[in-house]
Amino acid sequence: MTHYAIATDLNRCVGCLACSVACKALNGVPIGNFWNKTLRIGPNPKSEGDVFPNVEMYFLTVQCQHCKNPACVQVCPTEASHVLEDGTVQIDKSKCIGCQFCAMACPYGVRYLNEEERVVEKCTLCEQRISQGELPACVAQCGGRARFFGDLDEGVDSFEAPWVVDVTEGDPSYEKGQKTRITLKECVQEYAESDIHHLPNAGNDPAFVYVLRNRTWQGGE
Amino acid sequence: MELQWPLILFTTLVAWSAGTFGAQAVLALKGEGREVQVPAVVASVVLLALSGIAVFFHLQHWERIFNGFGHITSGITQELIAIVVFVVVAVVYFAMLRKSEDGGTVPKWLAVVAIAISAVLALVCAHSYMMAARPAWDTVVWPLVELGEAAALGALTVMAMLALKGGESKLGGLAAVAGSVASAVLSVALVAVWQASAGSFADVGYHFDPTTPTSPLLDVAAETNVLSGELAPLVWLGVIVVGALAPVACAVLAHKKGGKSWLALGAAGVVCALIGCVCLRVAFYELGLSVFMFY
Repeated sequence: MTHYAIATDLNRCVGCLACSVACKALNGVPIGNFWNKTLRIGPNPKSEGDVFPNVEMYFLTVQCQHCKNPACVQVCPTEASHVLEDGTVQIDKSKCIGCQFCAMACPYGVRYLNEEERVVEKCTLCEQRISQGELPACVAQCGGRARFFGDLDEGVDSFEAPWVVDVTEGDPSYEKGQKTRITLKECVQEYAESDIHHLPNAGNDPAFVYVLRNRTWQGGE
Repeated sequence: MELQWPLILFTTLVAWSAGTFGAQAVLALKGEGREVQVPAVVASVVLLALSGIAVFFHLQHWERIFNGFGHITSGITQELIAIVVFVVVAVVYFAMLRKSEDGGTVPKWLAVVAIAISAVLALVCAHSYMMAARPAWDTVVWPLVELGEAAALGALTVMAMLALKGGESKLGGLAAVAGSVASAVLSVALVAVWQASAGSFADVGYHFDPTTPTSPLLDVAAETNVLSGELAPLVWLGVIVVGALAPVACAVLAHKKGGKSWLALGAAGVVCALIGCVCLRVAFYELGLSVFMFY
Protein backbone atom coordinates (compact mmCIF):
# COMPACT_ATOMS: atom_id res chain seq x y z
CA MET A 1 0.00 0.00 0.00
CA THR A 2 1.19 3.47 -0.83
CA HIS A 3 0.55 6.46 1.42
CA TYR A 4 1.92 9.68 0.02
CA ALA A 5 2.67 12.46 2.48
CA ILE A 6 4.91 15.45 3.09
CA ALA A 7 7.63 15.67 5.72
CA THR A 8 8.72 19.14 6.78
CA ASP A 9 11.96 19.84 8.58
CA LEU A 10 10.89 22.73 10.80
CA ASN A 11 14.50 23.52 11.73
CA ARG A 12 15.09 24.32 8.06
CA CYS A 13 11.82 26.21 7.38
CA VAL A 14 12.48 29.96 7.18
CA GLY A 15 8.80 30.99 6.93
CA CYS A 16 9.20 32.45 3.43
CA LEU A 17 5.60 31.45 2.54
CA ALA A 18 6.76 30.18 -0.87
CA CYS A 19 4.82 26.95 -0.28
CA SER A 20 1.63 28.85 0.49
CA VAL A 21 2.04 31.11 -2.56
CA ALA A 22 2.95 28.20 -4.87
CA CYS A 23 -0.16 26.34 -3.76
CA LYS A 24 -2.35 29.37 -4.38
CA ALA A 25 -0.89 29.98 -7.82
CA LEU A 26 -0.85 26.40 -9.05
CA ASN A 27 -4.26 25.34 -7.77
CA GLY A 28 -6.17 28.59 -8.33
CA VAL A 29 -7.23 28.70 -4.69
CA PRO A 30 -9.95 31.39 -4.28
CA ILE A 31 -9.28 34.62 -2.40
CA GLY A 32 -9.74 34.07 1.32
CA ASN A 33 -9.15 30.32 1.05
CA PHE A 34 -5.80 28.75 1.92
CA TRP A 35 -5.03 25.13 1.16
CA ASN A 36 -1.65 25.61 2.76
CA LYS A 37 -0.74 28.10 5.48
CA THR A 38 2.52 28.91 7.22
CA LEU A 39 1.96 29.72 10.89
CA ARG A 40 4.55 31.16 13.22
CA ILE A 41 4.56 29.26 16.51
CA GLY A 42 6.19 31.37 19.20
CA PRO A 43 8.22 33.08 20.37
CA ASN A 44 7.58 30.94 23.45
CA PRO A 45 9.78 30.63 26.57
CA LYS A 46 12.44 27.93 26.25
CA SER A 47 11.67 26.86 29.81
CA GLU A 48 8.80 27.85 32.04
CA GLY A 49 9.25 31.40 33.29
CA ASP A 50 11.92 32.30 30.74
CA VAL A 51 11.79 35.76 29.15
CA PHE A 52 13.51 37.28 26.12
CA PRO A 53 16.10 36.41 24.91
CA ASN A 54 15.52 32.88 26.23
CA VAL A 55 12.72 32.21 23.75
CA GLU A 56 12.30 29.99 20.71
CA MET A 57 10.01 29.76 17.71
CA TYR A 58 9.45 27.83 14.54
CA PHE A 59 7.27 28.02 11.45
CA LEU A 60 4.59 25.41 10.98
CA THR A 61 3.18 24.67 7.54
CA VAL A 62 -0.38 23.41 7.88
CA GLN A 63 -2.59 21.85 5.22
CA CYS A 64 -4.72 18.72 4.76
CA GLN A 65 -2.78 16.00 6.57
CA HIS A 66 -4.11 13.24 4.25
CA CYS A 67 -4.92 11.24 7.36
CA LYS A 68 -4.73 7.46 7.59
CA ASN A 69 -8.18 7.40 9.22
CA PRO A 70 -9.82 10.52 7.80
CA ALA A 71 -12.91 11.72 9.69
CA CYS A 72 -13.91 13.84 6.67
CA VAL A 73 -14.32 10.70 4.55
CA GLN A 74 -16.28 8.97 7.28
CA VAL A 75 -18.90 11.74 7.56
CA CYS A 76 -19.36 12.44 3.84
CA PRO A 77 -22.88 11.30 2.85
CA THR A 78 -22.14 10.99 -0.88
CA GLU A 79 -18.60 9.59 -0.77
CA ALA A 80 -17.42 12.76 -2.51
CA SER A 81 -14.55 12.75 -0.01
CA HIS A 82 -12.64 9.56 -0.55
CA VAL A 83 -9.24 7.95 -0.18
CA LEU A 84 -7.30 7.19 -3.35
CA GLU A 85 -5.08 4.15 -3.82
CA ASP A 86 -2.06 6.36 -3.23
CA GLY A 87 -3.39 7.12 0.28
CA THR A 88 -4.32 10.73 -0.44
CA VAL A 89 -7.72 12.13 0.53
CA GLN A 90 -9.51 13.67 -2.46
CA ILE A 91 -12.87 15.31 -3.17
CA ASP A 92 -15.02 14.42 -6.17
CA LYS A 93 -16.55 17.86 -6.61
CA SER A 94 -19.32 16.56 -8.87
CA LYS A 95 -20.62 14.45 -5.96
CA CYS A 96 -20.30 17.11 -3.25
CA ILE A 97 -23.64 18.46 -1.99
CA GLY A 98 -21.94 21.16 0.06
CA CYS A 99 -23.18 19.97 3.45
CA GLN A 100 -19.79 20.94 4.93
CA PHE A 101 -19.84 18.15 7.50
CA CYS A 102 -16.35 17.22 6.29
CA ALA A 103 -15.17 20.72 7.19
CA MET A 104 -16.72 20.29 10.64
CA ALA A 105 -15.15 16.85 11.11
CA CYS A 106 -11.65 18.00 10.18
CA PRO A 107 -9.59 18.79 13.30
CA TYR A 108 -7.36 21.22 11.42
CA GLY A 109 -9.86 23.53 9.68
CA VAL A 110 -8.13 23.03 6.35
CA ARG A 111 -11.28 22.51 4.29
CA TYR A 112 -12.92 25.49 2.64
CA LEU A 113 -16.21 26.07 0.90
CA ASN A 114 -15.56 27.40 -2.61
CA GLU A 115 -18.26 30.10 -2.68
CA GLU A 116 -18.39 30.15 -6.48
CA GLU A 117 -18.61 26.42 -7.13
CA ARG A 118 -20.44 25.79 -3.82
CA VAL A 119 -18.39 22.72 -3.04
CA VAL A 120 -15.75 22.00 -0.43
CA GLU A 121 -12.10 22.08 -1.46
CA LYS A 122 -8.74 21.44 0.16
CA CYS A 123 -5.13 20.45 -0.54
CA THR A 124 -5.05 17.65 -3.12
CA LEU A 125 -1.35 17.06 -2.54
CA CYS A 126 -1.17 18.30 -6.15
CA GLU A 127 -2.64 15.02 -7.38
CA GLN A 128 -2.41 16.36 -10.93
CA ARG A 129 1.37 16.55 -10.47
CA ILE A 130 2.20 13.57 -8.28
CA SER A 131 0.23 11.20 -10.52
CA GLN A 132 2.76 12.15 -13.22
CA GLY A 133 5.76 11.64 -11.02
CA GLU A 134 6.24 15.33 -10.21
CA LEU A 135 6.51 16.87 -6.75
CA PRO A 136 3.69 18.86 -5.11
CA ALA A 137 4.06 22.58 -5.80
CA CYS A 138 4.71 23.39 -2.13
CA VAL A 139 7.58 20.91 -2.06
CA ALA A 140 9.00 21.97 -5.43
CA GLN A 141 8.98 25.68 -4.49
CA CYS A 142 10.13 25.40 -0.86
CA GLY A 143 12.62 28.20 -0.27
CA GLY A 144 14.42 26.52 2.61
CA ARG A 145 14.57 22.99 1.14
CA ALA A 146 12.55 22.01 4.19
CA ARG A 147 9.78 20.06 2.51
CA PHE A 148 10.02 16.52 1.21
CA PHE A 149 7.46 14.34 -0.52
CA GLY A 150 7.26 10.56 -0.53
CA ASP A 151 5.59 7.33 0.44
CA LEU A 152 5.27 6.75 4.19
CA ASP A 153 5.58 3.01 3.63
CA GLU A 154 9.07 3.57 2.21
CA GLY A 155 10.09 5.54 5.30
CA VAL A 156 10.54 9.27 5.85
CA ASP A 157 14.24 9.08 4.98
CA SER A 158 13.30 8.26 1.38
CA PHE A 159 11.17 11.39 0.93
CA GLU A 160 12.40 13.64 -1.87
CA ALA A 161 12.89 17.32 -2.62
CA PRO A 162 14.22 19.07 -5.73
CA TRP A 163 17.99 19.39 -5.89
CA VAL A 164 20.49 21.65 -7.60
CA VAL A 165 20.85 20.99 -11.32
CA ASP A 166 24.36 21.27 -12.67
CA VAL A 167 23.71 23.01 -15.99
CA THR A 168 27.40 23.06 -16.91
CA GLU A 169 27.30 19.34 -17.64
CA GLY A 170 25.04 17.31 -19.87
CA ASP A 171 21.39 18.13 -20.46
CA PRO A 172 20.28 21.46 -18.90
CA SER A 173 16.60 20.88 -19.70
CA TYR A 174 13.46 21.39 -17.62
CA GLU A 175 13.06 17.60 -17.56
CA LYS A 176 16.42 17.21 -15.88
CA GLY A 177 15.47 19.88 -13.37
CA GLN A 178 12.29 18.00 -12.55
CA LYS A 179 14.07 14.71 -12.05
CA THR A 180 17.08 15.88 -10.09
CA ARG A 181 16.22 15.25 -6.47
CA ILE A 182 17.69 14.73 -3.06
CA THR A 183 16.33 12.53 -0.29
CA LEU A 184 15.49 13.79 3.17
CA LYS A 185 18.21 11.60 4.67
CA GLU A 186 20.85 13.09 2.37
CA CYS A 187 19.66 16.65 2.83
CA VAL A 188 18.80 17.30 6.47
CA GLN A 189 20.64 17.08 9.76
CA GLU A 190 20.31 13.87 11.71
CA TYR A 191 17.20 13.53 13.78
CA ALA A 192 15.97 11.13 16.43
CA GLU A 193 12.64 9.33 16.55
CA SER A 194 11.61 11.76 19.31
CA ASP A 195 12.12 14.66 16.88
CA ILE A 196 9.29 13.41 14.65
CA HIS A 197 5.94 15.05 15.34
CA HIS A 198 2.39 15.17 14.01
CA LEU A 199 -0.45 17.64 14.41
CA PRO A 200 -2.83 16.77 17.28
CA ASN A 201 -4.48 13.43 16.59
CA ALA A 202 -8.23 13.27 17.19
CA GLY A 203 -8.41 9.66 16.08
CA ASN A 204 -7.77 10.59 12.43
CA ASP A 205 -4.06 9.62 12.42
CA PRO A 206 -2.55 12.52 10.45
CA ALA A 207 -0.04 11.26 7.89
CA PHE A 208 2.12 14.37 7.50
CA VAL A 209 5.40 14.41 9.38
CA TYR A 210 7.16 17.33 11.05
CA VAL A 211 10.78 17.12 12.18
CA LEU A 212 11.74 19.50 14.99
CA ARG A 213 15.02 19.22 16.87
CA ASN A 214 16.19 21.03 20.00
CA ARG A 215 12.95 22.95 20.41
CA THR A 216 9.69 22.21 22.17
CA TRP A 217 6.88 21.01 19.91
CA GLN A 218 3.81 23.06 20.86
CA GLY A 219 0.18 21.97 20.89
CA GLY A 220 0.54 18.28 21.66
CA GLU A 221 0.30 15.39 19.23
CA MET B 1 -17.69 28.41 13.83
CA GLU B 2 -20.29 30.46 11.99
CA LEU B 3 -23.86 29.93 13.06
CA GLN B 4 -25.54 27.37 10.80
CA TRP B 5 -29.13 28.60 11.06
CA PRO B 6 -30.65 25.90 8.81
CA LEU B 7 -29.10 23.25 11.05
CA ILE B 8 -30.14 25.08 14.23
CA LEU B 9 -33.74 25.08 12.97
CA PHE B 10 -33.49 21.50 11.68
CA THR B 11 -32.33 19.99 14.96
CA THR B 12 -34.85 22.06 16.95
CA LEU B 13 -37.79 21.13 14.74
CA VAL B 14 -36.77 17.47 14.64
CA ALA B 15 -36.74 17.40 18.45
CA TRP B 16 -40.17 19.03 18.51
CA SER B 17 -41.55 16.66 15.87
CA ALA B 18 -40.12 13.49 17.43
CA GLY B 19 -41.22 14.63 20.90
CA THR B 20 -44.79 15.35 19.82
CA PHE B 21 -45.09 11.97 18.11
CA GLY B 22 -43.53 10.19 21.06
CA ALA B 23 -45.61 12.00 23.70
CA GLN B 24 -48.95 11.22 22.07
CA ALA B 25 -47.82 7.59 21.69
CA VAL B 26 -47.15 7.51 25.45
CA LEU B 27 -50.76 8.60 26.00
CA ALA B 28 -51.95 6.05 23.43
CA LEU B 29 -50.16 3.32 25.36
CA LYS B 30 -52.43 4.01 28.32
CA GLY B 31 -55.50 4.80 26.23
CA GLU B 32 -55.51 8.47 27.23
CA GLY B 33 -55.81 11.65 25.14
CA ARG B 34 -57.72 10.00 22.29
CA GLU B 35 -59.08 13.33 21.07
CA VAL B 36 -55.60 14.66 20.42
CA GLN B 37 -54.08 11.64 18.67
CA VAL B 38 -54.79 12.61 15.05
CA PRO B 39 -53.92 16.32 15.38
CA ALA B 40 -50.71 15.43 17.22
CA VAL B 41 -49.58 13.01 14.49
CA VAL B 42 -50.38 15.61 11.83
CA ALA B 43 -48.53 18.32 13.79
CA SER B 44 -45.54 16.02 14.19
CA VAL B 45 -45.32 15.29 10.45
CA VAL B 46 -45.77 18.98 9.59
CA LEU B 47 -42.92 19.88 11.96
CA LEU B 48 -40.75 17.21 10.36
CA ALA B 49 -41.54 18.61 6.91
CA LEU B 50 -40.59 22.11 8.10
CA SER B 51 -37.32 20.75 9.46
CA GLY B 52 -36.67 19.16 6.07
CA ILE B 53 -37.25 22.49 4.33
CA ALA B 54 -34.91 24.20 6.80
CA VAL B 55 -32.10 21.72 6.26
CA PHE B 56 -32.29 22.09 2.48
CA PHE B 57 -31.13 25.68 2.92
CA HIS B 58 -27.92 24.35 4.43
CA LEU B 59 -27.02 22.30 1.37
CA GLN B 60 -25.08 24.14 -1.31
CA HIS B 61 -26.06 21.63 -4.00
CA TRP B 62 -29.37 20.18 -2.85
CA GLU B 63 -30.11 19.12 -6.44
CA ARG B 64 -27.39 16.51 -6.02
CA ILE B 65 -29.01 15.06 -2.95
CA PHE B 66 -29.87 11.81 -4.70
CA ASN B 67 -26.25 11.36 -5.78
CA GLY B 68 -25.48 9.42 -2.70
CA PHE B 69 -26.71 8.72 0.78
CA GLY B 70 -25.27 5.26 0.49
CA HIS B 71 -22.43 5.98 2.85
CA ILE B 72 -23.66 4.44 6.06
CA THR B 73 -20.91 5.85 8.31
CA SER B 74 -22.15 9.36 7.54
CA GLY B 75 -24.37 10.91 10.20
CA ILE B 76 -26.44 12.55 7.45
CA THR B 77 -27.18 9.15 5.88
CA GLN B 78 -28.13 7.78 9.29
CA GLU B 79 -30.44 10.78 9.85
CA LEU B 80 -32.13 10.16 6.51
CA ILE B 81 -32.69 6.49 7.35
CA ALA B 82 -34.17 7.42 10.76
CA ILE B 83 -36.43 10.04 9.14
CA VAL B 84 -37.70 7.57 6.51
CA VAL B 85 -38.48 4.96 9.19
CA PHE B 86 -40.13 7.67 11.33
CA VAL B 87 -42.37 8.73 8.42
CA VAL B 88 -43.32 5.12 7.67
CA VAL B 89 -44.27 4.56 11.32
CA ALA B 90 -46.21 7.86 11.36
CA VAL B 91 -48.16 6.84 8.24
CA VAL B 92 -48.99 3.42 9.70
CA TYR B 93 -49.93 5.09 13.01
CA PHE B 94 -52.18 7.55 11.21
CA ALA B 95 -53.82 4.74 9.21
CA MET B 96 -54.45 2.73 12.39
CA LEU B 97 -55.94 5.78 14.10
CA ARG B 98 -58.32 6.33 11.19
CA LYS B 99 -59.20 2.65 11.20
CA SER B 100 -60.00 2.54 14.91
CA GLU B 101 -63.61 2.84 16.00
CA ASP B 102 -63.13 5.88 18.23
CA GLY B 103 -60.59 7.49 15.87
CA GLY B 104 -57.99 7.69 18.62
CA THR B 105 -56.77 4.20 19.44
CA VAL B 106 -53.79 2.26 18.13
CA PRO B 107 -52.43 -1.17 19.09
CA LYS B 108 -50.03 -1.07 22.03
CA TRP B 109 -47.17 -2.50 19.95
CA LEU B 110 -47.52 0.41 17.52
CA ALA B 111 -47.44 2.94 20.35
CA VAL B 112 -44.23 1.32 21.61
CA VAL B 113 -42.72 1.43 18.10
CA ALA B 114 -43.71 5.11 17.80
CA ILE B 115 -42.03 5.96 21.12
CA ALA B 116 -38.92 4.01 20.11
CA ILE B 117 -38.53 5.63 16.67
CA SER B 118 -39.13 9.09 18.16
CA ALA B 119 -36.29 8.53 20.63
CA VAL B 120 -34.04 7.07 17.92
CA LEU B 121 -34.69 10.01 15.57
CA ALA B 122 -33.81 12.57 18.25
CA LEU B 123 -30.66 10.67 19.24
CA VAL B 124 -29.48 10.00 15.67
CA CYS B 125 -29.94 13.60 14.53
CA ALA B 126 -27.79 14.84 17.40
CA HIS B 127 -25.27 12.00 17.15
CA SER B 128 -24.19 13.31 13.71
CA TYR B 129 -22.47 16.20 15.45
CA MET B 130 -20.40 14.09 17.80
CA MET B 131 -17.05 14.70 16.15
CA ALA B 132 -13.71 14.08 17.82
CA ALA B 133 -12.40 17.16 16.01
CA ARG B 134 -14.72 19.41 18.05
CA PRO B 135 -14.33 18.69 21.76
CA ALA B 136 -17.38 20.73 22.84
CA TRP B 137 -19.55 18.61 20.53
CA ASP B 138 -17.98 15.24 21.17
CA THR B 139 -20.02 14.29 24.21
CA VAL B 140 -22.81 11.76 24.68
CA VAL B 141 -24.63 14.43 26.71
CA TRP B 142 -25.49 16.26 23.47
CA PRO B 143 -27.72 13.50 21.97
CA LEU B 144 -29.28 13.08 25.41
CA VAL B 145 -30.02 16.83 25.44
CA GLU B 146 -31.79 16.46 22.08
CA LEU B 147 -33.79 13.57 23.56
CA GLY B 148 -34.61 15.62 26.67
CA GLU B 149 -35.69 18.57 24.54
CA ALA B 150 -37.90 16.26 22.50
CA ALA B 151 -39.49 14.92 25.68
CA ALA B 152 -40.15 18.41 27.06
CA LEU B 153 -41.35 19.99 23.81
CA GLY B 154 -43.46 17.00 22.86
CA ALA B 155 -45.20 16.49 26.18
CA LEU B 156 -45.92 20.20 26.66
CA THR B 157 -47.25 20.47 23.10
CA VAL B 158 -49.52 17.45 23.44
CA MET B 159 -50.83 18.67 26.80
CA ALA B 160 -51.55 22.14 25.37
CA MET B 161 -53.37 20.54 22.41
CA LEU B 162 -55.30 18.29 24.77
CA ALA B 163 -56.37 21.28 26.87
CA LEU B 164 -57.50 23.03 23.70
CA LYS B 165 -59.70 20.04 22.94
CA GLY B 166 -61.03 20.09 26.49
CA GLY B 167 -59.36 16.83 27.46
CA GLU B 168 -57.20 15.87 30.43
CA SER B 169 -54.47 13.35 31.10
CA LYS B 170 -52.68 12.79 34.37
CA LEU B 171 -50.07 10.67 32.62
CA GLY B 172 -49.48 13.44 30.08
CA GLY B 173 -49.03 15.95 32.89
CA LEU B 174 -46.49 13.71 34.60
CA ALA B 175 -44.71 13.19 31.28
CA ALA B 176 -44.51 16.95 30.74
CA VAL B 177 -43.03 17.48 34.23
CA ALA B 178 -40.59 14.58 33.84
CA GLY B 179 -39.61 15.61 30.29
CA SER B 180 -38.98 19.24 31.15
CA VAL B 181 -37.01 18.29 34.30
CA ALA B 182 -34.90 15.81 32.27
CA SER B 183 -34.33 18.43 29.58
CA ALA B 184 -33.29 21.01 32.19
CA VAL B 185 -30.88 18.66 33.95
CA LEU B 186 -29.30 17.55 30.66
CA SER B 187 -28.98 21.12 29.35
CA VAL B 188 -27.17 22.14 32.53
CA ALA B 189 -24.97 19.05 32.21
CA LEU B 190 -24.05 20.05 28.65
CA VAL B 191 -23.12 23.54 29.83
CA ALA B 192 -20.86 21.92 32.45
CA VAL B 193 -19.24 19.74 29.76
CA TRP B 194 -18.60 22.85 27.63
CA GLN B 195 -17.02 24.66 30.54
CA ALA B 196 -14.76 21.67 31.22
CA SER B 197 -13.74 21.26 27.56
CA ALA B 198 -10.92 23.86 27.63
CA GLY B 199 -8.27 21.21 28.32
CA SER B 200 -9.17 19.30 25.16
CA PHE B 201 -7.88 21.97 22.76
CA ALA B 202 -4.34 22.27 21.49
CA ASP B 203 -2.51 25.28 22.87
CA VAL B 204 0.55 26.42 20.92
CA GLY B 205 1.26 29.45 23.07
CA TYR B 206 2.18 32.67 21.30
CA HIS B 207 1.59 32.40 17.55
CA PHE B 208 0.89 34.35 14.38
CA ASP B 209 -1.07 33.63 11.22
CA PRO B 210 0.14 35.83 8.33
CA THR B 211 -3.23 35.45 6.55
CA THR B 212 -5.08 37.11 9.45
CA PRO B 213 -2.51 39.61 10.68
CA THR B 214 -4.95 41.77 12.62
CA SER B 215 -6.71 38.94 14.47
CA PRO B 216 -6.14 38.80 18.20
CA LEU B 217 -4.28 35.88 19.74
CA LEU B 218 -6.59 32.94 20.40
CA ASP B 219 -7.17 32.39 24.10
CA VAL B 220 -8.36 28.79 24.46
CA ALA B 221 -9.54 29.18 28.06
CA ALA B 222 -11.53 32.33 27.27
CA GLU B 223 -13.14 30.78 24.16
CA THR B 224 -14.63 27.94 26.18
CA ASN B 225 -15.56 29.93 29.30
CA VAL B 226 -19.33 29.77 28.89
CA LEU B 227 -20.16 30.65 32.49
CA SER B 228 -18.43 34.02 32.69
CA GLY B 229 -17.12 34.67 29.19
CA GLU B 230 -18.72 36.29 26.15
CA LEU B 231 -21.35 33.58 25.87
CA ALA B 232 -22.36 33.82 29.54
CA PRO B 233 -25.52 35.98 29.04
CA LEU B 234 -26.78 33.64 26.31
CA VAL B 235 -26.05 30.53 28.37
CA TRP B 236 -27.33 31.77 31.72
CA LEU B 237 -30.42 33.58 30.44
CA GLY B 238 -31.27 31.76 27.22
CA VAL B 239 -30.24 28.17 27.96
CA ILE B 240 -30.61 27.87 31.72
CA VAL B 241 -33.30 30.34 32.85
CA VAL B 242 -35.60 30.44 29.80
CA GLY B 243 -34.75 27.11 28.17
CA ALA B 244 -34.32 24.88 31.23
CA LEU B 245 -36.05 26.38 34.27
CA ALA B 246 -39.07 28.14 32.73
CA PRO B 247 -40.53 25.00 31.03
CA VAL B 248 -40.17 23.11 34.33
CA ALA B 249 -42.02 25.91 36.15
CA CYS B 250 -44.78 25.91 33.51
CA ALA B 251 -45.16 22.12 33.61
CA VAL B 252 -45.18 21.90 37.43
CA LEU B 253 -47.67 24.78 37.76
CA ALA B 254 -49.97 23.36 35.08
CA HIS B 255 -49.76 19.89 36.60
CA LYS B 256 -50.85 21.34 39.96
CA LYS B 257 -53.69 23.40 38.51
CA GLY B 258 -54.69 20.86 35.87
CA GLY B 259 -57.47 21.20 33.27
CA LYS B 260 -57.52 24.26 31.04
CA SER B 261 -54.40 25.71 32.64
CA TRP B 262 -52.36 23.40 30.39
CA LEU B 263 -53.37 25.49 27.37
CA ALA B 264 -51.63 28.71 28.43
CA LEU B 265 -48.91 27.18 30.59
CA GLY B 266 -48.19 24.36 28.15
CA ALA B 267 -47.94 26.80 25.26
CA ALA B 268 -45.73 29.12 27.33
CA GLY B 269 -43.53 26.16 28.24
CA VAL B 270 -43.20 25.20 24.57
CA VAL B 271 -42.22 28.76 23.61
CA CYS B 272 -39.63 28.91 26.42
CA ALA B 273 -38.26 25.48 25.52
CA LEU B 274 -37.97 26.52 21.85
CA ILE B 275 -36.11 29.70 22.81
CA GLY B 276 -33.84 27.54 24.96
CA CYS B 277 -33.25 25.11 22.08
CA VAL B 278 -32.19 27.91 19.75
CA CYS B 279 -29.97 29.59 22.39
CA LEU B 280 -28.34 26.26 23.21
CA ARG B 281 -27.59 25.63 19.54
CA VAL B 282 -26.21 29.14 19.03
CA ALA B 283 -23.80 28.48 21.92
CA PHE B 284 -23.16 25.00 20.45
CA TYR B 285 -21.93 26.48 17.17
CA GLU B 286 -20.03 29.30 18.85
CA LEU B 287 -18.18 26.63 20.84
CA GLY B 288 -17.73 24.37 17.83
CA LEU B 289 -14.01 25.01 17.71
CA SER B 290 -11.66 22.43 16.31
CA VAL B 291 -8.99 20.72 18.40
CA PHE B 292 -6.36 22.64 16.41
CA MET B 293 -7.96 26.05 15.93
CA PHE B 294 -4.97 27.96 14.63
CA TYR B 295 -5.16 27.28 10.89
